[in-house]
Amino acid sequence: MTIEEQTKDIVAKIVHVDKNIITLGSTFKDMKADSLDIVQSLVAVEEAFDIEIPDEEAQKFQNFGDLVSYVENQTQKGKD
Amino acid sequence: MFLQGKLALVTGSGRGIGKAIALKLASQGADIIVNFFRHREAAEETAREIEALGVKAQVIRANVGNPAKIDEIFDTISSDFGYLDILINNAASGVGRSAMDVDIKAWDWTMDINAKAALLCAQHATKLMEGRGGKIVSISSLGSSLVLPTYAIVGISKAALIALTRYLAIELAPKNICVNAVAASAVETEALKFYIKEQLMPDTRQATPAGRMVTPEDVANAVAFLCSEEASMIRGQTIIVDGGTSIAPFTIPKETQ
Repeated sequence: MTIEEQTKDIVAKIVHVDKNIITLGSTFKDMKADSLDIVQSLVAVEEAFDIEIPDEEAQKFQNFGDLVSYVENQTQKGKD
Repeated sequence: MFLQGKLALVTGSGRGIGKAIALKLASQGADIIVNFFRHREAAEETAREIEALGVKAQVIRANVGNPAKIDEIFDTISSDFGYLDILINNAASGVGRSAMDVDIKAWDWTMDINAKAALLCAQHATKLMEGRGGKIVSISSLGSSLVLPTYAIVGISKAALIALTRYLAIELAPKNICVNAVAASAVETEALKFYIKEQLMPDTRQATPAGRMVTPEDVANAVAFLCSEEASMIRGQTIIVDGGTSIAPFTIPKETQ
């Protein structure tokens, strides 16, 4: 499974939406996620990939695609 | 410097009240474990400010709402230091909702971080205080005894913290561990500015009888006193730091007088 698919599964489960509606352009607002959904999603993604997503970074995310890119970069760094 | 050579863990000390407490204890000579969860840059800045005071600072990232992460914090303290003198249960989170809108997810999230973590941290800390005594201070809130708008679940968790403080104070008294709490009113922090901006609470900042808002440093001063030997006969109490707000609810804001 790709990082995008794994991240989608995690977020869909926490926000309680069908994962098929999440695209790279989706925002948490589109998914009707509240602030707790967002922080819990970030925590779950951090734990799944063993990375850290500080709020200073998370605040820069415009959409789901930005989150996926961040995860991809961080997991790549771990391998380097 | 009444805390020279002591080691303190302050949960949630990257920003706000926790940071002020960490700096106050450091200014009295204590080495500080800075725990944070979401804001690494802020925590690292806090650590730099602590070190500038001539004491040690160690940053540990952990969500205290997760018991396994609490185990990790204390494993680290145990292996790096082997002792602990002061535990400050400050880390807090919450969801701004009325009681009728609190769901299981919001309840668990808030109670895990604000109340359960305090118990688990105290259980761990007590082992590292064995034979040397210690101080445990938890940061509660006026919302534990007063009804504040959209504060239900946080207020409930903060009330649990006060009851926990009483039980721990008596159970740990034979080990010479002093356990108390500090309850603050609205404190001038980023969190408060957010609540006012989002209109989750009215802006009553000018209505404090003492004539100004409570600052994080005011809370830190009370905590530091409770960590001193002068306070050693105060057990299981909650000190209210609110500039008189809770006993004078009808104070008219200065600007409208």
